[in-house]
Amino acid sequence: MTAPDQSGDAYQKGFDAQLTRRIFVYLKPYVPLVVAGVVLALLIAVAQPMFALIQRHAIDTYLVPFERDRTLSTENLYRGLMVAALGYMALKVVEFCLTYAFTLAIGYLGQNVLRDIRGDVFTKLQRLHLAFFDQNPVGRLITRVTSDVDAINQFITGGLVSLIQSSFLIVAYVIIMLRVNWKLALISFTVLPVLYFATNFFRARLRDAFRMTRTQQAIVNTKLNENITGMLTVQLFGRENRSALDFDQSNRSLLTANVNSVKWFSLFMPVVAVLGQVAVALVLYFASRNILGGNGVAAGAFTIGTLYAFVQWTQQLFQPIQDLADVFNNLQAAMASSERIFGVLDTKEEVSDKPDAKPLNNFEGSVSFEGVWFSYDQTVTADTPASDDRWILRGIDLHIQPGESVALVGATGAGKTSVTALVSRFYDVQGGAVKVDGVDVRDLAQYDLRRHVGVVLQDVFLFAGTIEGNLTLNNPDISHERVVEACQYVGVHDYILSLPEGYQTEVRERGATLSTGQKQLLAFARALIQNPDILLVLDEATANVDTETELRIQHALQKVMLGRTSIIIAHRLSTIEGCDRIVVMRKGRIVEQGSHRELLQKGGYYARLHRLQYAQGDAAD
Amino acid sequence: MESLRTLAPYLKMHTRQYIIGLVAVIIANSVNLLPYYFIRLTIDGLTGQTDTDPNTAGLTLATAGLYALGIVLAALTAGGFMLLMRRMIVVASRQTEYEIRRDLFAHLQTLDKHYYDRAKTGDLMNRLTGDLSAVREMLGFGAWQIVNIVSGFVTAFAVMFGLSWQLTLIVIAILPIIVGVLFYLARQISKRHRLAQEQNSLIAAKAQENFSGARVVKGYAIEDREIADYKSMNLELLRRNIALTKVEGPLRSFASLLIGLAFGLILLVGGRLILSPTNDGSFTVGMFVQFVGTLERLAWPMLMVGWITGVTQRGLASWLRLREMMDARPLVHDDRNRTNTRIRDLLGDVAFENVSLNYGNARVLENIDLTIPAGTFLGITGPTGSGKTLLAQLITRSIDPTSGVVKMDGQDVRVIPLNTLRDAISIVPQEPFLFSDTIANNIGFGLGNRDLPRVPTGISVVGAPPTPDIPQKPDPARVRNAARLAGLDGDIEGFPNGYDTMLGERGVTLSGGQRQRTAVARALVREPRILILDDSLSAVDTETERKILDGLREISAGRTVIVIAHRVSTLRHADQIVVLEAGRIVEQGTHEGLLAAGGHYAELERLQSLATDLDDDDDAVATPDEAANLLETGRMSAPGLPTKEKEQVTK
Repeated sequence: MTAPDQSGDAYQKGFDAQLTRRIFVYLKPYVPLVVAGVVLALLIAVAQPMFALIQRHAIDTYLVPFERDRTLSTENLYRGLMVAALGYMALKVVEFCLTYAFTLAIGYLGQNVLRDIRGDVFTKLQRLHLAFFDQNPVGRLITRVTSDVDAINQFITGGLVSLIQSSFLIVAYVIIMLRVNWKLALISFTVLPVLYFATNFFRARLRDAFRMTRTQQAIVNTKLNENITGMLTVQLFGRENRSALDFDQSNRSLLTANVNSVKWFSLFMPVVAVLGQVAVALVLYFASRNILGGNGVAAGAFTIGTLYAFVQWTQQLFQPIQDLADVFNNLQAAMASSERIFGVLDTKEEVSDKPDAKPLNNFEGSVSFEGVWFSYDQTVTADTPASDDRWILRGIDLHIQPGESVALVGATGAGKTSVTALVSRFYDVQGGAVKVDGVDVRDLAQYDLRRHVGVVLQDVFLFAGTIEGNLTLNNPDISHERVVEACQYVGVHDYILSLPEGYQTEVRERGATLSTGQKQLLAFARALIQNPDILLVLDEATANVDTETELRIQHALQKVMLGRTSIIIAHRLSTIEGCDRIVVMRKGRIVEQGSHRELLQKGGYYARLHRLQYAQGDAAD
Repeated sequence: MESLRTLAPYLKMHTRQYIIGLVAVIIANSVNLLPYYFIRLTIDGLTGQTDTDPNTAGLTLATAGLYALGIVLAALTAGGFMLLMRRMIVVASRQTEYEIRRDLFAHLQTLDKHYYDRAKTGDLMNRLTGDLSAVREMLGFGAWQIVNIVSGFVTAFAVMFGLSWQLTLIVIAILPIIVGVLFYLARQISKRHRLAQEQNSLIAAKAQENFSGARVVKGYAIEDREIADYKSMNLELLRRNIALTKVEGPLRSFASLLIGLAFGLILLVGGRLILSPTNDGSFTVGMFVQFVGTLERLAWPMLMVGWITGVTQRGLASWLRLREMMDARPLVHDDRNRTNTRIRDLLGDVAFENVSLNYGNARVLENIDLTIPAGTFLGITGPTGSGKTLLAQLITRSIDPTSGVVKMDGQDVRVIPLNTLRDAISIVPQEPFLFSDTIANNIGFGLGNRDLPRVPTGISVVGAPPTPDIPQKPDPARVRNAARLAGLDGDIEGFPNGYDTMLGERGVTLSGGQRQRTAVARALVREPRILILDDSLSAVDTETERKILDGLREISAGRTVIVIAHRVSTLRHADQIVVLEAGRIVEQGTHEGLLAAGGHYAELERLQSLATDLDDDDDAVATPDEAANLLETGRMSAPGLPTKEKEQVTK
C-alpha cells in the first residue's frame, strides 16, 4: 500500500527559502505586473489614512471653531468645508480606482502563474514514462494539478500580496499616527500585540476544528456513497437497521465536530470586536485627559479632530494586523504543495528522446528483440545476476517479419505484456536492444515510433467527447469517410448509427452504457483508423460476453490483423492457432516457438498446455 | 413559501434556540450603537456644547473615564449576545442539518430498485452534500443575517432620525442606489463564480481522464494534442476567473466608495446644519460624528443584502430538491392491508404464474409459467437481455410483475413481509457490491441484523440519547465455513490480517474472481432457503467454479438453488434448465433432454464448442494462461488426470 496523500496536512511543512525562490521564478515573466502591484499597494497604503486626516481637518478648522465662537462667518467656514468634502469624495474615487487596478493586477498575476504552473506540471506528466503512472494513483496526480497548484496561487495572492499590502498599510498608519500624536499613537498600539496573538490563537484552534470537521464530513460522505451504491444489497440482506446505526454514529460525530467549530468561531469574532472597542475607549479617555489637562483646546496638539481621526485609525489598523496573522499560515500551507509540485517537475524522464533521434519515414514493420533483459525495477542493472527474481525478461531473442502475426503464450508473469510494452518503448531495457526495421527504438523519436505502433486494449478507453472524436483521437486530419470505412470493416458501424446522434453521440461516463463487446469493436476500429504498421493486441479473458458477440469480436480481430505485423496476447485458442507463429514464454525466456502444428508435434511445453486443456475438457463430466 | 411550510417541522424542533438567538441579535445590534453615543457625549463635552459656556469643558475626566468604560461595556455586552446568538442559531442549523441527513438516510433505505435504477448516485450525493449545505446555510447564517440586517437598519435609522431628519433623508435617498448596485454585483459574482467553477470541473475531469488513460495517450502518441487541449481549457479558466475578479474583487472597495460618497454628501449638508447662523446648538459636531459612525455600521448589512438573497434562494431551491427525495415512494413495500405478518417461515417453493413484466412500453417478460419445487436446482440461460436477471429480481421482490403472480410456498410474494421474504433468499449478483469493511464483516454481512434498535427519525437531536454502538460480530466459525465453501479460504489466509483484512481503498483490492467468491460466501453464510446465483461465477476460473458448485451441492440439500449462467457446464447438473429468449421461455428440460431436443440449448452448446475450437465442452477449457498457471504452481500433479482424482490430489 502506498503512503496516504498528505495534502490535508499541508501546513505542517515549515517555511523553505529555496522553494520560495523557485516559486518566484514563476513571477519572472510578469515583472511589470509585480511592479505595478507593489506601486499600487504603496499608493493605496498612503491614501488610506488620508480620509481621517481630511475629516480631522474639517472638524478642527471649520466645525469646532464655530461651535466655540458663534460669531465667525459661516460662509467662509462653509466654503472651506465644501472644499474638504469634495476633496474627500475625489480621494475616495481615486482610492477606488487604485484598489480596482490593484485587484485586477494581482488577479492577472495569480491566474497567469496558476496557468503556467499547471501547464508545466501537465506537460511534464505527458513526458513522463508509463512506469510513473503505474506508481502514482490517478487521485494523487489530480491533486498535483488542482489543489496543490491552487495552494501556490494562494501563496502568491493570499500570502505574498497580503504580506506586502498589510505591511505597507501598517507602516502608513503607524507613521501618520506617530506624526500626528506619538503619545496617543503609542497608547492605541498597546492593543495590537494582544490582537495579533488572539488572532493567531483562534486561527490555530479554528484550523484544527475545521480539519476535524473535514475529516468527519469525508467519512459521512464515504458512507453515504457506499450505502447509496450498495442500497439494494443492504435491503436484500436485511441490514437496514445496522447500516442506519452505523451511519448515525458517523453523522453524530460530524455534528459534534461542527458544534465544536461553532464554539471557537463564536468566541473569536466577539473577542476581536471587544479588543477594537477597548482601543477606541483608550484613545477616547487619554485624548480627553490631555485635552482637559492641557487646559482647553488652544494647545493645538490635541484637538477634537485628532481624537476622531485616532478613533478611526485605530479601528482601521485592525484589518491589516489580522491579515498579517494569516500570512504565515498561507505561506506555510503552500510549502508542502510546492514541494510536491516541484517533486513532479524534477522527476527524471526515464524514457526520453535522444537529441539526434532519427525520423522514421518508410516503415516496413519488422520487430527484433536482441538479447533483451528487462526489469520494471530501476535498481536492477545489466550486472544483476540472472537468478534475481526481479528480472522480467531474461535474454529474449525474437525476430518478427513485416506482416507476420505472433501469439505470445505463457503463464501470468512470464513476460508477455512486457514484450508488447517494450515495442512501444513504454520502458527502456536494461540489456540488449529492441529494434524496429533494424533501428534501436531508443534512437527513434517516441512520437514517430508510437505513431506506427497501435495498441488494442481489451477495454477501450473512452474520453469525454463524441464517438468519432474517440476514434480519431481528435486528429483533425482523419476524414469522416475513413472512420466510417473502418467501422464498417470491423462491424460496429450499424451500432453507431443506431445511437441518437450517430458518430456525433457524446460518450457518457466513459462509455458505461456500451456493452463489453461494443467497446472491444470500437477499440479495433480506433486501431484501424490510426493505421499502425505494428499492432499489439492485449486480449484478456472476457466475462459476460455472449457467444455470438464473441464470434464477432474474433472475426473483427482477424480482419484487423490482416497484413500487419501483429503481436497478440490472446486467450482464445482459435486466435492463437490462427497466428503464423506461437511463442511460448516461461519465466522471462522463450522456451519454444513455431506454428501450432509444429509445436504440437514437438511435444513440449505447448503440447502439454494443449493437452491439459483437453484433459480438463474430458474431466468436465 | 410552500417549501418553508415543509421545512417548519425541522424549525419547530429548535424553536427555543431560534427565538433566543434572534432576540440576542436584536439586542446586540442595539447595544452596538452605544459606543458612538459615548464618543458623541465626549466630543460635545470637550467642545463645551453640554453646558452653557462654550469656553470651558463640559465634562470632567471622571466622566470621560465613565464614557470610555461605557464603550468597553457596550462592546462586551454586544459581543456576549453575538456569542449567544451563534451558539443558539448556528448550532441549531448544524443540528437541523444532522436531523435532515439522518431522516433522508432512513428514507433512502425504504426506497426500492425502481427508484435507484433511475436515480444517479452522483446526483443523490450532490443533494445530500451540496443541497443540504445550502439549506443549512439558509437556516443558520441566513436566518440570523436577515434579522441582523433588519434590526441593524431599524436601530441605526432610529438613531439617525433622532440626530437629524435632514441627514437621514439624504441617506434614505441614496441608500436604494447603494443597495441596488451591491445587489447587482452580488448576482454577477454568483453567476460568474458558477461559470468559473464549471470550467474548473472540466479541467479536473480532463486531467483525470488523461492520467487514467495514460496507456492510450502514450500508445497513440497524442501527448501534444492533449497538452494543447489542456492549455486552452486553462486559458478559458483564466478568462472566467478574471471576469469573476472584475466583479468580486472591488465589491468591498465599492461599498467603501459608496459609503465614502455618502459621507461627503453628509459632510456638505451636515456642515451646513452646523455652520448656520441660526444653529442654536441643536446639531453639534458630536452628533455629526455619531451620525457618520452609525452610518458606517450599515456598510456590512448593505453588503450582505445581495448575498443573503442568494443564500435564501439557493437554500429554498435546494430544499425543494431534498423534498423531492423525501417525497419519493417505493413501488415495492409492505402494505398494512395486504401483508400477512403471520408468515414467518418459508420452505422455498417458487412458482411463476403467467407472469409478464413491462419496462416502460417494452414487454421484457411475457407469460412466464414456471414451477421450482423446494429443494431443486434450476438453471437459467439465454442471450444478454433475454430477462434472466429479471426472473431473479421477481423472486426477491426487487420488482413486482406487471401482470400474473409470483408465488412462494403457494402465497403471492406480495403478501409475505419483505423482511421474511428476503431473510429466506440469498442472491449473488453478477457484479457484487462489497463494502469497505473487514472481509469477515463482508461475509457476515447478512448475519445478526435482526432485533437491532431503529434509529429514531423525525425527532430533535437535542436531548436525544446517544446512538447505541453495536459492533458487528459475525460468528467466526460460520464465516470460515462459508469462505471454505466459496473457495475463498486459501485467498483469505494469504491476506495481511486474515479475516480482519479491510477491503477497498484502505485495504486489499480483490480481483474479480475473489469478489464474486466473497459474494458467494456472503450468500451461503445465511443458510438461505433459496439461493440465487446470477451469472456470479463468470470471473472465476473453471476449476474453482467446479469446486464451488460441489460445495454448493454439499449444503444445498433441501434448498432451492437457481443458477443463471452462460456456460453449459455450470448448468448441466440442474434438475431443470430454462432457456429464455426475448422475455419468453423457449425451452425447458434437463441437460440431456434439451440436447436431444436439438433446439437453442443444443445450438448454444455447439457454438461454445466451435468458439473454442474443441470437440468437447467449452466450459472445460481454461485459458492458456490458466492452464500455464496450473502447470507452474504445481497445483495439479499431472495433466490429463480425470477430475475426480485430480480433486483428490488438490484436497
